[in-house]
Amino acid sequence: MEGKIVVVTSGKGGVGKSTATANLGTALAMEGKRVAVVDMDIGLRNLDVILGLENRIVFTIVDAVKGKCKIKQAAIKDRRIENLYLIPASQSDNKDVLKPEEMVRFSKQLRSEFDVVLMDCPAGIERGFENAVAAADEAIVICTPEVSSVRDADRVIGLLFSRSITPRLVVNRIVPDMVARGDMLSHEDVLEVLSIELLGLVPMDEQVIISTNTGTPLVMQKGSKAGEAFKRIAMRMNGQPDIPIEVPGARKSFWKKLGLTLTRNR
Amino acid sequence: MLNEWIAKIFSRGNSRDVAKKRLQFAIIYDKLDVSEEILGALQQDMVAVITRYFVIDKESLKIDIRKDEDVSALVVNIPILKALRQRPNPAHSH
Repeated sequence: MEGKIVVVTSGKGGVGKSTATANLGTALAMEGKRVAVVDMDIGLRNLDVILGLENRIVFTIVDAVKGKCKIKQAAIKDRRIENLYLIPASQSDNKDVLKPEEMVRFSKQLRSEFDVVLMDCPAGIERGFENAVAAADEAIVICTPEVSSVRDADRVIGLLFSRSITPRLVVNRIVPDMVARGDMLSHEDVLEVLSIELLGLVPMDEQVIISTNTGTPLVMQKGSKAGEAFKRIAMRMNGQPDIPIEVPGARKSFWKKLGLTLTRNR
Repeated sequence: MLNEWIAKIFSRGNSRDVAKKRLQFAIIYDKLDVSEEILGALQQDMVAVITRYFVIDKESLKIDIRKDEDVSALVVNIPILKALRQRPNPAHSH
């Protein structure tokens, strides 16, 4: 069966695209899919460090697209997770070295080699974005509950619709206490403004930074809030659309919260 | 000092609503950012229709999108030189 190409995009930078790509890719591979995560941020690669594979880069996406190497040579196999591969970005080129037509051609090969290909789109809506969405079958838009991020997400959603791609939304870095206090947009607010299908909600989690420090995706560890959220999103992407979307912080009862405060103060 | 403190307590926790309103307005505003190209095409279409009824001053015609705090409008100013006597029949005119 042919694989599908999913672009992870946002418009604004720094909202967690690469973290989402790394974790969703890892979680899908853990579920048994043959997964490639592709770093499309040519010139500013980062997916490699998030996955802890930065020391193993020999060939890059540019080499593979230009036919200087085979896909199998450019795709770095993760030694911890069966079926997970990274196709890294090149650090010495700029985004103009690739053309959307070349990406369409290259993606045909990717579909025959993998079940799911996650394209980590660079920030912005210029050539890098064009290249990343050129061959996409599906799109995931990541935004945080901030005015600037939601506005850029709206712009990107418009661009995706104009290419006949129906995007789904992940709201990242939700701080439940701030939402409850009325100092952060809730996911309902964001959805009302963007009016697209919701794929998942991810809470703000310090563990994300720690996992990037060590190059170990969160979904490989147990007990991280963001990691669990990414795992559920991956399940929803992988033929289980009915897995309920948990609202961060909503499960905590008053007594649990009180318990937490007590232990924190001790 | 005390006033500030009181104001802080009462103003606390409504930035979410402010954010939502600003966001909704920004997005509407963004979508009104019509390119010169589209405005030019609109102007040509309007001139084509209006010249079937009036002789207009094409040189001093003005078209613009005016964005205000609570309402946005397409503002068109077309100076008329004279009205045409005969009502045109669109089926026969080219």
